[in-house]
Amino acid sequence: MTSMATASIAVHPVRSGPAHWLQSYVHMTRWELGSLRLLLPLIVALQMVIGGGFALGIGLFFDEIPVRNALFLATGVAVVTLITVGIVMGPQLVSNHKVAGTYDFLWSLPVPRTTQAAAWLTVNTIIAIPGMVAALVIADWRYDLTLQVSPAIVPAVLLTIGTATLIGYAFAHAIPKPMITNMITQLLIFVILGFSPINFPPENLPGWLAAVNEWLPFQHMAAVIRAALTEGLVDNVGRSYVVLVVYTAISALVAAWVIGRRD
Amino acid sequence: MTDRLESEGDWRFHARTVTKAFGDLLANDGITLQIRPGEVYGLLGPNGAGKTTLVKQIIGLLKPTSGELTLGPYDLIEDPDAARQLCSYLPQAQMPIDSFRARDVIRLTGMIRGGESGAVTARTNEMIEALDIGEWAETLGIKLSGGVKRLVGFAMVSVWPGRVVILDEPTNDVDPRRRRLLWEQVRRLGDLGSAVLLVTHNVLEAEKSVDRLAIINEGRLIAEGTSSSLKAEDRGRLRLQLMMVPGHPTPELPDFVQHNTRVGNNVMNVISETDATVGIGWAQELMARGVAEEYALGATTLEDVYIRLTGHTSSNGNATL
Ligand SMILES: Nc1ncnc2c1ncn2[C@@H]1O[C@H](COP(=O)(O)OP(=O)(O)OP(=O)(O)O)[C@@H](O)[C@H]1O
Ligand SMILES: [Mg+2]
Repeated sequence: MTSMATASIAVHPVRSGPAHWLQSYVHMTRWELGSLRLLLPLIVALQMVIGGGFALGIGLFFDEIPVRNALFLATGVAVVTLITVGIVMGPQLVSNHKVAGTYDFLWSLPVPRTTQAAAWLTVNTIIAIPGMVAALVIADWRYDLTLQVSPAIVPAVLLTIGTATLIGYAFAHAIPKPMITNMITQLLIFVILGFSPINFPPENLPGWLAAVNEWLPFQHMAAVIRAALTEGLVDNVGRSYVVLVVYTAISALVAAWVIGRRD
Repeated sequence: MTDRLESEGDWRFHARTVTKAFGDLLANDGITLQIRPGEVYGLLGPNGAGKTTLVKQIIGLLKPTSGELTLGPYDLIEDPDAARQLCSYLPQAQMPIDSFRARDVIRLTGMIRGGESGAVTARTNEMIEALDIGEWAETLGIKLSGGVKRLVGFAMVSVWPGRVVILDEPTNDVDPRRRRLLWEQVRRLGDLGSAVLLVTHNVLEAEKSVDRLAIINEGRLIAEGTSSSLKAEDRGRLRLQLMMVPGHPTPELPDFVQHNTRVGNNVMNVISETDATVGIGWAQELMARGVAEEYALGATTLEDVYIRLTGHTSSNGNATL
């Protein structure tokens, strides 16, 4: 019986090109989904609780929340859930891999490294979306909102998750010590929540900080998502899209460079 | 099969003066070796000798400070993509299989390595059977014992082997019977045409199963050859092993002891065949004086060569009495 199986072990030529990339991407996505199988339901549930809880929690700041403000906050919370997955959850999963010492094997697999980053992005998207939806559904019910979902939600969500996930992925790989990675994620999320105009308008910030945020991706994430979910709350999101596309591209390049590097 | 025939040619693996510095530390210092397709090549050396560092450079996880690594026409340093496709690698570290069933992850790895679905399935079954891990085939990795995890890792790496198969301590934690099964599969990788580079601490098992071997110490390759060529210098010598009364200091050594190492309470002496009688007399006297508990006289093994060259015992140094 061995002869049959053995006979078919052909030695391949070295593969390359788009078909190889695509096939590798499919395999690595299966790998990532498989390796999160035990955690996935828990992570998704946690994201939904965080998103929903946040949406309810903000209402406690106000006696009577004006609809416009409620819309602003609800969409802000949706953005926050996406950013959290990319910048907190993603890097912590990478750290877990590092602590377990499992990258030696993963990075010896015969696939283009970029397919591993792409698979990671795919899985993070799957993790992030339920939390965002939960936040919106609960806010919608609690504050009696009227969300106007436009098709622009697709690029808006993808660009937001893409930028956040790739930034997180790049620094989680660039920093050798998982401890430091975890500290940075905590710090980043507080800085982002406190000093980026996601849940409040930029006018509330001191001038210089508002100017800095013009060049950071976070307020633009909020702008594009808000524009895709509401009508009349924000306009002129063209520049925001441009900024996000540039950020996604740069973080993809940096991530590719970081994982392609050898000491 | 046709690929295999077409691709005949010179597919030797070469390392040429490979040097790897970590700061001031030379983890590899001018290592040169070659492995032919079909050959099982053992890499031995004490902890920290630089074995893992060497194999990580082959698969592209580390970049040599200087030197060359080639496989047939491919420059493995310049082309890490090709290196990963041409070589399969079982790391010394853990395998990331906690959330997978054993059979699924072996199969998935075969697919990732470019195998065709049906053939990978057949080969997966073959590996599971050959390593006798069928009873855990549907078990999640997180529930597997350390040894079975190691065997699953070995199956993942061997299910669709590359031209070079790198195994960094594959037999760790594996029980003696399955360790024999694993060694059989290592030999079969050679028969399939792979060049096998196998890192191990188990000198005696390696002696039986490898075609050639190298001993690395402090980053340098200090001996290379077949097991019998390495033992040639020890021809005409015997090993006189003493198990000391626990805690007792090593006794004063008579002149006929040519070489001596102590690990725990185990003192290993290399003596000439012509001194066998006096050697036994000495050992018996030590037992009579209550210094030693037991002794054994036997042929020198690769272990003794290893000890002489590195000043260390291998992992099973105590088990050979
Ligand atoms: N990334 C690194 N940075 C700095 N030093 C390192 C690094 N990796 C290994 N070393 C050092 O290089 C030397 C060789 O290590 P290596 O892991 O190659 O040894 P080894 O022969 O595989 O040992 P063992 O049998 O214990 O696995 C050691 O002194 C080790 O501390
Ligand atoms: Mg090692």
